[in-house]
Amino acid sequence: MAGIYIHIPFCKQACSYCDFYFLTRGELKQPFVDALIEEIRHYGNHPISDETIDTIYIGGGTPSLLTPKQLKSIFTALETVFTVKPVEVTLEMNPDDVTEEFLLKIQDLGVDRASMGVQSFDEKLLQFMHRAHDPIEAVDALKLLQKANFPSYTADLIYGNPGQTMEMLGKDIDRLLTFDPPHISAYSLTIEPKTRLGKQVELGRIDPVDDDVVADQFDFLYQKLSSAGVEQYEVSNFAKPGKEAVHNSNYWRHKNYLGLGPSAHSLYWPDADNAQRWKNRSNLKSYLEQDWDGVREDEESLSLSEMAEERLMLGLRTKWGVSKKQLAERYGYTINNKQEEWLKKQQEQGQFTSVDDAIILSKTGLRIADYLIFELISRRL
Amino acid sequence: MTQIRNFCIIAHIDHGKSTLADRLLERTGTITEREMQEQVLDDMDLERERGITIKSHAIRMKYKRPSGEEVIFNLIDTPGHVDFAYEVSRALKACEGALLIVDAAQGIEAQTISNLYQAIEQDLEIIPVLNKIDLPGADVEGVGQQIVDMIGCEHSDILHVSGKTGDGVEELLEEIVEKVPAPKQEVDKPLKALIFDSIFNTYRGSIAYVRVMQGTLKKGDNILFMASDKEYDAEEIGYLELKKKPCEVLKAGDVGYVIGSVKSLQDARVGDTITHQKDGADEPIPGYKESKPMVFSGIFPTESEDFEDLRSALEKLQLNDASLSYQPETSKALGFGFRAGFLGLLHMEIVQERLDREFNIDIITTVPNVQYEVETDFKGEKKRVQVENPSEMPDAGMVETVWEPYIKASIITPADYIGPVMKLCQNRRGIYLNQIFMQGNRVDITYELPMAEVVFDFYDKLKSGTRGYASLDYEFIEYRKGDLVRLDILLNGDPVDALSSITHRDNAYEHGRKVCAKLKELIPQQQYEVAIQAAIGSRVIARDTIRALRKDVTAKCYGGDVSRKRKLIEKQKEGKKRMKQVGTVEIPQEAFLAVLSMDDND
Ligand SMILES: Nc1nc2c(ncn2[C@@H]2O[C@H](COP(=O)(O)OP(=O)(O)OP(=O)(O)O)[C@@H](O)[C@H]2O)c(=O)[nH]1
Ligand code: SF4
Ligand SMILES: [Mg+2]
Repeated sequence: MAGIYIHIPFCKQACSYCDFYFLTRGELKQPFVDALIEEIRHYGNHPISDETIDTIYIGGGTPSLLTPKQLKSIFTALETVFTVKPVEVTLEMNPDDVTEEFLLKIQDLGVDRASMGVQSFDEKLLQFMHRAHDPIEAVDALKLLQKANFPSYTADLIYGNPGQTMEMLGKDIDRLLTFDPPHISAYSLTIEPKTRLGKQVELGRIDPVDDDVVADQFDFLYQKLSSAGVEQYEVSNFAKPGKEAVHNSNYWRHKNYLGLGPSAHSLYWPDADNAQRWKNRSNLKSYLEQDWDGVREDEESLSLSEMAEERLMLGLRTKWGVSKKQLAERYGYTINNKQEEWLKKQQEQGQFTSVDDAIILSKTGLRIADYLIFELISRRL
Repeated sequence: MTQIRNFCIIAHIDHGKSTLADRLLERTGTITEREMQEQVLDDMDLERERGITIKSHAIRMKYKRPSGEEVIFNLIDTPGHVDFAYEVSRALKACEGALLIVDAAQGIEAQTISNLYQAIEQDLEIIPVLNKIDLPGADVEGVGQQIVDMIGCEHSDILHVSGKTGDGVEELLEEIVEKVPAPKQEVDKPLKALIFDSIFNTYRGSIAYVRVMQGTLKKGDNILFMASDKEYDAEEIGYLELKKKPCEVLKAGDVGYVIGSVKSLQDARVGDTITHQKDGADEPIPGYKESKPMVFSGIFPTESEDFEDLRSALEKLQLNDASLSYQPETSKALGFGFRAGFLGLLHMEIVQERLDREFNIDIITTVPNVQYEVETDFKGEKKRVQVENPSEMPDAGMVETVWEPYIKASIITPADYIGPVMKLCQNRRGIYLNQIFMQGNRVDITYELPMAEVVFDFYDKLKSGTRGYASLDYEFIEYRKGDLVRLDILLNGDPVDALSSITHRDNAYEHGRKVCAKLKELIPQQQYEVAIQAAIGSRVIARDTIRALRKDVTAKCYGGDVSRKRKLIEKQKEGKKRMKQVGTVEIPQEAFLAVLSMDDND
């Protein structure tokens, strides 16, 4: 089983915090779709095509900027080249693009999970983020989603914004909960250097929010969502029971995935061999030349022990944690005495809920997961 | 007999000694155009990179006069930096004359004067040279007057040259022959050869650079090092040309090298006299004052398994640099390492850089300090000890008296900056002695200062307070009583020995506050709150807190974020190696030098 990720590199405008690869001009949409179909065909020869594709994730950029017809040609190509038996097909969309008709058409294509880029319902915050939609569009889009009756959908929120008070965050959460969404992704704002926001912070025009404030918001968010029955299953992901995202969760389990489109990443880990990671160049021009080997870059071949560290780095962010048995069997990695001792101590102090068969971080542990994961890994150096 | 002239080139730092030496080598044909490069005598990598001379360099030249007569020149180029003043003093002893170079744009500066006095003390003939006359800012007249005032010579005695263009170099060569006295060539007296420098070569062992003061040394002679009382054979002797050139005899007046079966440099001690085992001299030449380390600092390997490598690297460095001293030291915080003594801060920096570059050893160094003398009284039992390491300072209750080294500093500055200079000295517990006005609106200000106050940022502050115009020279004078205390730094209640310092009681509070603030900035947040305290004995005088880490987690971790995050972890692993665990707290290396990067305005 493997997943497929497709990156659609177009957006209406650049959000101030975003460092994904996209163009704000749309002339090349059709040439891009044509090239993408060629890339899909190219991977018909790759051993990953022997695997059944069980999840598809169309992200970006803004996939809802493509027409249903363009999307259809992509799905057709996927089905021709791969054995597709989907358990989850997700498509990202922005509120300002969504119509009833659009939703119906993508459902026809097999999309069973919508991912809506809401981010906030606060007019000022949306402007600060330089989003293309306003609060009314956000509400309308969610209403349409509810009506369309997808088996599952998710909405994104961003918290920890400069100027965002606890009260403002509370309003955003309450607003979103009125739709009773099965899934929510809530990200604390990350200031990326090469973004508009990053530049402003660098110039001292905007002060990043103090970690203590973000930590409080993190706790607050958890409280509110869990009392609404939307449980945290990963640092930034919350779901009603059984509604956890399959495709994304598979990233954290080291399942193979093929990334298509500019800037998309892939993992191919055949049994009993090194794992391969690579990405496509973040450049539409070169992508359109359709030299598929030339498009690939940053190819890495990762040893078992590197993969084991990755597994800890990814798995400990989730409520399932990492099983020691699996670490030993699949990764040949046994937690050593120094690590065990440290884990025990940390558990006593409440950072882990379990350190026996599975290593699982507690809610407070999750808040400093990067620190704890590194401390665990480095106890082996 | 061939005429010989032995002379050295002395000046303030950067006044153009090495560049002028280039011209002399060129005009005498010692060096071909192909071999020529700027400051060719500065042959150490560090010297070339920093553009300064660190070690004296001796070289022999054959000068053919316009008259056709040939004269042998032995030249010693010396460093100008105050840390290496002892190199100058050694060179002077091997010579009869000195070229005193003065930069025509800069004028007389602090080391110009101190070097001149040293040369006069040694009774050398001094040839004043006004250099860099090609510079648009050259003030030939004004600086000429300064020289006349300083030496008491005539304007006509001063040569005007440019080491850059070569102007005036012909006249200078003739002047050297005319004015520098020929050495006494008492070749029949018992042998006395002064070791004025020595270097270590991995293949040949110690090589002693000597000036034969009297007598004759032949290849293969049985020789005696008088001070160390060691006997060897002179396996090879020769002249110091661009490459060493073996010869059969070195006679009185000659400068050359001796390779014996000398194993370590401790045997070929600079200042020692070489004589013959049979019919040797009765008395050695009076030696040099030993160069004494002025500043001390802990040097620890970042990785404890590098300890032995560090030891052998220091050993090797010391073979070529006898002024470096070190002894093992153990720190609770930093493990096994050494406490090393240096001539000054530049010397310290150079040693640290060489350890890193030539030996590839990652080191942590601690804040430099001076050496104290402490009288303790333990239940009536009095003892006087030397303290080179702040953490060894006995507890306050036991300390009767502390003495600290004082220096006499001479600061030459344009008169406009007298105010800032005096303020700086006053702030550093300086005692004003006097000021002398010089030609060209400049003053020579003399202060007595505690050495400890000059050790780290005094020079930088002096430079920035005078737009770079002031120059500083200093010499040790004596130990004096001071109201000094040991300031300890505690992290979560555990004292960190490597962060202890000794300060004047009046400054302790301010200093403690700054160190705490700086550490707060440098130590990363950890899982638990970290209390930083500065204390004198059991009395805490300043504190700060590093809050516990409350949030440290990446928001997004999907397909494209994995590699980026793994690389970050790899980088963190590197950083982790540079962390030291002290009690429950992890400290990055930079923290041990925290005080050095503290600003007065913090
Ligand atoms: N214009 C000009 N520049 C010169 C002259 N002589 C030296 N310099 C420059 O002055 C700087 C210092 O020259 P050095 O010869 O290294 O000086 P130094 O006295 O040997 O310096 P230390 O050995 O470090 O004390 C270099 O940048 C030289 O190029 C000169 O006659 N004219
Ligand atoms: S956040 Fe989404 S819509 Fe905004 S620029 Fe990034 S990819 Fe485009
Ligand atoms: Mg020089």
